[in-house]
Amino acid sequence: MHCQSRREFMVRSATTAGALALGAGGIASRALAQDKPVEMTIAKWNGAPKPTNDEIKQIAVKLTEKAIEGLGGMKRFVKQGDVVWVKPNIAWDRSPEQAANTNPEVVATLIRLCFEAGAKRVKVGDNPVHQAKKSYEASGIAAAAKAADAEVVYLDKERFKEVDIKGQRVKSIPIYPDMLEVDLMINVPIAKHHVLATATLAMKNYMGVIENRRVFHQDFNSCLSDITRFMQPKLCVLDAVRVLVAGGPTGGRLEDVRTKLTVAAGTDIVALDALGVELIGRKLTDVPHVPAAEKNGLGKTDYRSLALREIAVS
Amino acid sequence: MTQSRRSPRNRTVQLRRGVQIAFLLLFFGLLVLAGGVLREGHSSWMKLFFLFDPLLLLSTLLAAGAVPKLLLLALATVVLTVVLGRVFCGWACPLGTIHDLTGRLLDRLQRRLRQEHLSPWQKSKYYLLVGFLVMAALGGHWVAIWDPLVLLYRTSTVALWPAVQLSIEQTAAAVRDAAAVERPLRPKWAQPDEAGQAQQQSSATLKNRLARPVAAVTNPVHGFLKDHVFVVQRQSFLGAGTIAAVFAVLLALNAVRRRFWCRYLCPLGALLGLLAWRPLLRRATHEQSCNQCDLCGQACHGAASAAAGSGWKPSECLGCLNCTASCNRQAMRFTFIWPWQRRPQVETVDLRRRVLLGSAVGGIAALAVMRANPQARQAVFHPQLIRPPGALPEPEFLQRCTACGLCMKVCPTGGLQPAISEAGLEGIWTPRLVPQIGYCQYSCNLCGQVCPTGAIQPLSVEQKQQVRIGLAFFDTTRCIPYAYGRDCTVCWEVCPLPEKAIYTEKVTVVDRNGNTIEVMQPRIDIEKCIGCGNCEHDCVFRDLPAIRVHSANETRHRKNQPELAPPASSDPYG
Repeated sequence: MHCQSRREFMVRSATTAGALALGAGGIASRALAQDKPVEMTIAKWNGAPKPTNDEIKQIAVKLTEKAIEGLGGMKRFVKQGDVVWVKPNIAWDRSPEQAANTNPEVVATLIRLCFEAGAKRVKVGDNPVHQAKKSYEASGIAAAAKAADAEVVYLDKERFKEVDIKGQRVKSIPIYPDMLEVDLMINVPIAKHHVLATATLAMKNYMGVIENRRVFHQDFNSCLSDITRFMQPKLCVLDAVRVLVAGGPTGGRLEDVRTKLTVAAGTDIVALDALGVELIGRKLTDVPHVPAAEKNGLGKTDYRSLALREIAVS
Repeated sequence: MTQSRRSPRNRTVQLRRGVQIAFLLLFFGLLVLAGGVLREGHSSWMKLFFLFDPLLLLSTLLAAGAVPKLLLLALATVVLTVVLGRVFCGWACPLGTIHDLTGRLLDRLQRRLRQEHLSPWQKSKYYLLVGFLVMAALGGHWVAIWDPLVLLYRTSTVALWPAVQLSIEQTAAAVRDAAAVERPLRPKWAQPDEAGQAQQQSSATLKNRLARPVAAVTNPVHGFLKDHVFVVQRQSFLGAGTIAAVFAVLLALNAVRRRFWCRYLCPLGALLGLLAWRPLLRRATHEQSCNQCDLCGQACHGAASAAAGSGWKPSECLGCLNCTASCNRQAMRFTFIWPWQRRPQVETVDLRRRVLLGSAVGGIAALAVMRANPQARQAVFHPQLIRPPGALPEPEFLQRCTACGLCMKVCPTGGLQPAISEAGLEGIWTPRLVPQIGYCQYSCNLCGQVCPTGAIQPLSVEQKQQVRIGLAFFDTTRCIPYAYGRDCTVCWEVCPLPEKAIYTEKVTVVDRNGNTIEVMQPRIDIEKCIGCGNCEHDCVFRDLPAIRVHSANETRHRKNQPELAPPASSDPYG
């Protein structure tokens, strides 16, 4: 399952678009025909190539909108009056161009869609590795989230609570209570290379709801399955506007960044992670925690077998 | 009775008290804001008080032979003192105000009437100052760590404010916990399991209900403080107890004599006293009106007069104006005179040559003793003396550093800590990085920006990223991939250099059951590591990290570099 070529993608996208228009045939129709809700969408830019950084900002917004729309809109996940926690990866004191944190426009768009769907409050926060204030600001997420009227939350180290997560390897771990006491958490990782796990994606993004995460490194496969099972993901959005193909998770070298102009959304965290692995140019066998999660019953790595919609955006 | 005698009231005195409180609030206001909004804005306002301190100007000039430009503002204080006398001490100095307030508090406890007139021992501060200045001329900057503004800033930053922060953080957490209904935490959006369903319904207890209205106030207040004031959570400092104890002793000395510090010890007070030798504002006593009741003497802040109503010594007068306010017969007033006018006559400082000589010898001896140790002579380097990036080589650093604590205050990770023994007695309370507490943030250069004396040079972020403050070492008896054959490499992950100073190597090890396993072992690239300490800070071991940064290879000391020196172009001092 290598990264598909642009031509393949365009052909497929065209088929999908046509199928959508006609309401029959193609991959997208599989979902529709079986009358099954869409489980995953992949929105990919199909417009002018080589966009500038400013254009990428607008593209990121469109991709996010389309990805969520393809799933049936934010109303499918957010009810009137809900409190939502948007959980991006804001781990590092790095700029959006360095692709070490989630794209700020993706985050801001999700916030807006939540409010449009009737959310009462939207909170944004992560437990960064670098100093929080620096990371929130450098990532552009603090400013973008504030502009979108979300609450930017800096975690309070005093407040992590040891939670019994009943995992196979991790029995209990300190978790930030406010992240659990919301009506929905949207997990919004960026697709990145990771030195040890090979890729850091949606499951690994849950490392930002806990403390004492350093020990996870000794057995990612079990630990990530444990925390994912506990968190019961409902909606994940994979930011692959820019991806980091090497030097992750911290990054910093622009040579390691690839502009993929893709945003995927879905309800199956394992499927999204499998897609992410492809997007950073790796194989599933390189990222054992993803197939391990499938074995643990947390989702399917073969995302093409799901009710999938691929959307070409231009 | 005693109350009113010691603290007379009239408009001028009330004005002076207002000014004192205003300066005190300004001092602490700037200190508090330095933890939040001023730090974020890289504002020079943080060092405001130090810039007007002529002792820092003089000692930096003497010791380092250099004058940081902004410190020239202190000349304003010099002019002020030459004209008005030690009004800085009486009206502006925040430490003086604290001593003043302590004295007033003691007045309520110690009811006996005190007869405190000028004591010849008040000259001790001048002799101390002279000894210190001789030391400074030889390159010892020790006088600055006893500067009152520095002393108060350091004490507040290192000991007092962290105590306030701790109290607020823990109280807020306790109230929040008391208000929250206890139930097993799980995602609210999750499908309830059978056990969970029952537990979710647990209702609020009496404790919860009582705490809720309190939490409704404390939660948002604490939220604001957390984001804007206590930005470095759990900020606290090693050796805070000693610093607090020194401060407590100085406050307690008020029980012996009011404003003991200001009268007997303060080096800045002594410097200003010398400048106020013959001020243009002088006290004149109308001798026919004075009945020597000594109300003025009892109210005097500085014990500036040798006898009731007479013998006024301007070098001891803090300009508090209690004397004119307390006099029932209007027997004295302050008037401006021209420098060449001889009347009203004043008592001069009157220092004795022999004692001065003794002070000078004492200063030299003290410096020699402090420096006569292997570390000060750079025969050895302390591995844990990791100076902030931009710090000058150690001798020059010590010539300038006042140990004010401003860099420690603003360090965004809280890693800059006061040295206890690492820098010797001469370098006590000067800043050093303790990576286990907080690392040097790759994109931050704030410590050099705020340093009032240039002991830490103001480097651009790009320059600062080239400065090595130390080198990381693996403890292979602890490091997990080395000692236990398991993957870890958290250190690799957190290394902030885009090119990574830590790299990994895949090695095969055999476990106790004879199975061969592959692990990634981390290694250090000595050419790249700048010693920021991110790795040490995030190591899984919290007692003694398995990767530790030591001062070896620091840019500022060629002699402390084990490797062949890097090309000259990468030397930011070069």
